[in-house]
Amino acid sequence: MTTAPQLDIPPRPRTWPRRALIAGAVLVVTVLTTTPALGGVEIDLDSIARNWGNGASRIAMLFQPDWSILPRTWEPMLETLEMALIGTAVSAALAIPLSLWAARPTNPGNPLRMAVRFVLNVVRAVPDLVYATILVAMVGVGALPGIITLVLFDLGIVVKLVSEAIDSSDSSYMEAGRAAGGTQTQINRVTALPQAWPAFASQVLYSLELNVRVSAILGLVGAGGIGRLIDEVRGFYRYDALSTIILLLLVVVILIEVASNYLRKRLR
Amino acid sequence: MRQHTTQPEAEGATPSASVPWPIALDQVTVRYPNGVVALKDVSLRVEPGEMISVVGLSGSGKSTMIRTINGLVPATSGTVTVGPHTVTGLSGRQLRQLRGHVGMIFQHFNLADRASVYQNVLVGRFSHTPTWRTLLGSARPADRDIAMRALDSVGMLEKVWQRGGALSGGQKQRVAIARALSQEPAVMLADEPVASLDPPTAHSVMADLQRINQERGLTVLVNLHLMDLARQYTTRMIGLREGRLVYDGPAADATDADFEEIYGRPIQVKDRLDR
Repeated sequence: MTTAPQLDIPPRPRTWPRRALIAGAVLVVTVLTTTPALGGVEIDLDSIARNWGNGASRIAMLFQPDWSILPRTWEPMLETLEMALIGTAVSAALAIPLSLWAARPTNPGNPLRMAVRFVLNVVRAVPDLVYATILVAMVGVGALPGIITLVLFDLGIVVKLVSEAIDSSDSSYMEAGRAAGGTQTQINRVTALPQAWPAFASQVLYSLELNVRVSAILGLVGAGGIGRLIDEVRGFYRYDALSTIILLLLVVVILIEVASNYLRKRLR
Repeated sequence: MRQHTTQPEAEGATPSASVPWPIALDQVTVRYPNGVVALKDVSLRVEPGEMISVVGLSGSGKSTMIRTINGLVPATSGTVTVGPHTVTGLSGRQLRQLRGHVGMIFQHFNLADRASVYQNVLVGRFSHTPTWRTLLGSARPADRDIAMRALDSVGMLEKVWQRGGALSGGQKQRVAIARALSQEPAVMLADEPVASLDPPTAHSVMADLQRINQERGLTVLVNLHLMDLARQYTTRMIGLREGRLVYDGPAADATDADFEEIYGRPIQVKDRLDR
């Protein structure tokens, strides 16, 4: 029998102090956020048991979809899709220059970049329902306030994600453009734009997906689309009809997701 | 009788196409914002049409020196003169105009990988093109012609509609040379142009630069760290060590001892391309 030579294994670094620290931090945060006396939220688990019956009957109704509502869904559903598409298209067009202005390689001048980023942070901070409510008051009930809301909502997302993609990507071609005596605008147009294209197209497709979901909600405040119908049936406690609408929405969202996944793969 | 010119005049261009420019550095020092002094009191005159190599280890200041010539790195003190331009103190439109006459190629090619070869070469026409025209994406026929001819001169015309990223390293560097040539420059700068290439490709790219120098009469300044390439392809050699000029003489006559002086250490196998 041969014996393998003794291996000189370096001592394994100790990890338990680190783990204990993380576990302790999680515990402290949990206690702080769930103890009302310490400023946490009040969580009354008993109420789930007490009120179970109220919700259960509604959930039961949700499991028995009322298909008779289906013919009434076509028109608002079409409106929702149109709003989503128009909102995506308009925001995409606006996002091209804004993304380039918001990224460091494509806009090294600090003041303008900071200004664009600040405005977009404000745009992102306002909830979409607030936009919709204000716009419905300003331009009236219908699809238009919904579309404007979607444009603002999409701009916040697309510009942030695309400009961050530009920030983190290799931009050595910039030096060649500068060495050739190009202006920043020329460099951006001819080289940075094609480089950013996949990130841009990918985020625009993502915003289209989001728009269908979001525009379902916007109808609740009168900003058009399928949400108006949702609001109506919910008001009459027709949870069976609501279930049909939710299923329809699910199908549409999945279809769009499949289509955009396919397109995104083709972009690579 | 009226005179006819077949070549359309590029707007804002001073005559440069085939007139090489001299380069002069006068006591140039570069101190970066982080305090590093990359170039110390370097004085140098390059005659028009010379093919000159700048040799030194990485960190010796050769990348910094080459960038003071087109103003990518400003000289902290001293003056840099290129042809009729004093680079020091130039900014904005004047600086871009100077850069339009100075072609440059890079170690990592610096192509936009997702843009077509054609678009990448059009970058060389930037300084001769108004921004609005670039923005609309409509190149003048004359610019298109110059770009195509530049590609043809490096044997890359058949790749014109391919993406930059689809090319091999050697092909990318040729496209980068075409980009620089389409500027119709008076001076060509090359910063370690073959350091990312395999030996046979490195030789053919160096031969391209030599041909540009001989056929177009351009002033060519090329940064290298390999001694055999400097000896074989350039006529004059500058040595930099720790930001100081430590050698200036004919490249072919440079002895191994001279290189040891430039490198500041004995010669190693990796200092030659062909081992």
